[in-house]
Amino acid sequence: MEINSEVQFYTVTEINRLIKFELEENPRFNNIWIRGEIYNLTYHSSGHIYFTLKDDGAVISAVFFRYANKNLKFRLEEGMSVLVYGGLTVFEKRGSYQFNVLSVRPEGAGELQKRIEQLKQKLAKEGVFDQARKRPLPFLPKRLGVATSPTGAAVRDIIKVALRRFPNIEIIIAPAKVQGDDAPVSISRAITELNRPELNIDVIIAGRGGGSFEDLFAFNEEIVVRAFFNSRVPIISAVGHQIDHPLCDDAADVAAPTPSAAAEIAVPQKKDLSDEITYLHNRISTALMNSYSRDKTRLKNIISKKVFRDPYEIVNLRGMLLNEMENRIALSMKHIISGKKEKFLSLPDIAQIEKNFVRQLRHKFEMKVQAIHNLSPLAVMSRGYSIVTGSNDIIIKSVENITEGDSLSIRFSDGRVTADVASVKKEK
Amino acid sequence: MEKPKKNESKKSFENALAELEDIAEKLEDGTLGLDDSIKEFEKGIKLARLCQEKLEEAERKIEILQKGENGEVASRKVSVKTDTGEIDDEEELQGSLI
Repeated sequence: MEINSEVQFYTVTEINRLIKFELEENPRFNNIWIRGEIYNLTYHSSGHIYFTLKDDGAVISAVFFRYANKNLKFRLEEGMSVLVYGGLTVFEKRGSYQFNVLSVRPEGAGELQKRIEQLKQKLAKEGVFDQARKRPLPFLPKRLGVATSPTGAAVRDIIKVALRRFPNIEIIIAPAKVQGDDAPVSISRAITELNRPELNIDVIIAGRGGGSFEDLFAFNEEIVVRAFFNSRVPIISAVGHQIDHPLCDDAADVAAPTPSAAAEIAVPQKKDLSDEITYLHNRISTALMNSYSRDKTRLKNIISKKVFRDPYEIVNLRGMLLNEMENRIALSMKHIISGKKEKFLSLPDIAQIEKNFVRQLRHKFEMKVQAIHNLSPLAVMSRGYSIVTGSNDIIIKSVENITEGDSLSIRFSDGRVTADVASVKKEK
Repeated sequence: MEKPKKNESKKSFENALAELEDIAEKLEDGTLGLDDSIKEFEKGIKLARLCQEKLEEAERKIEILQKGENGEVASRKVSVKTDTGEIDDEEELQGSLI
């Protein structure tokens, strides 16, 4: 290839400057994230951090300047998988480029996550996260304590929601720094202040609005988690959005997904409570009216019974019964009497019966008299029998009682004789 | 029975409301005698009034804790915009962090 004087050329400086311009002003190489592993890490005494990012196929140099890394919450380590944020810069003099890092996030189970996990296990062992120690929130807090930045969206959301739900609630704000190196101490001090007994605070909300992982990191710090744990007043954590879950959530009595939600949890709707009271008031009035009208109906039913309405009824009724009985008795007597009369009339002549009866009796009597008469010894003797007695008047019934020469008395029916015995002869 | 009136008003809103609910149930049950019903009813009305008073009694007050020159923390009343929840004089508060 021939080179003549007409040919355009760049100086080295020029070309490097052009490259620098092309790369540094190109949005494709700025405000971007790169994923890689840290390699050749150097923490320089100047405060700058130098390392190489690499993956399976390539490497790129990176620099993390002091001004950018001062908020870094964890120490970078060799081999750590990270996401780095920043843009390309070109080092003109050496014709090299490097990635200017503004922020680093651990990738996956990075070191920071490990640190959180370790702290979590340590505090869990101490019982900081025990479900059993979680206290119920007061039903109707008079004073709400808020530990957060006085200028952030979080405090505005909490005030707005709390006042909307319960317009006469009292709010005490403990202003805290919620981001940066001072944040952990500031937050924990704010929580401690709100716990002062003379403030009479019923419930505390502590937290901040949403942000990046680093922004929310203060709420993973041990001092903050312990401040939540040690709060005498029931405390609600309210950090970021729903997806964030810092350790303080587990130490709080209640974890709310956002500051607004925390205010809703802490403060009841005044209207709901008022409605509830009205409802109960109506219920007791209705119940009393019901039982009153039930008793009234019962009483009415009782006093409207006939006995109370017409007390003479009792007498009248009995009078009627009595009349009826009288009638019945009279009627049946009539029947009885007329029946007897008929029977009486159908009988035979009683005088005749009596006459016959007397005749029969007389006949029977005469027969008896005759029988008695026949049995008399006189009657027997009249038929030819006589009675012999000795001198001593004893009736002699056998010859053995008689000897020759005895004097016997013989009685007849019409007189007696005395005779001497000539001879005795026994027969048979 | 509850102790005399002084304690009545010290009763928490929650307890008063729960008691009111108990009374409503008792009355609805209908097994109470007339005299007792009226007694319970009167108690219920008092509780309902107490509850309403409790709802009204707190006056809205928003305060902010500030560290004074000698390092003591004291509270200062601030006003807020109800619609946005914004604290008036917001700028000067950043310096009041405790």
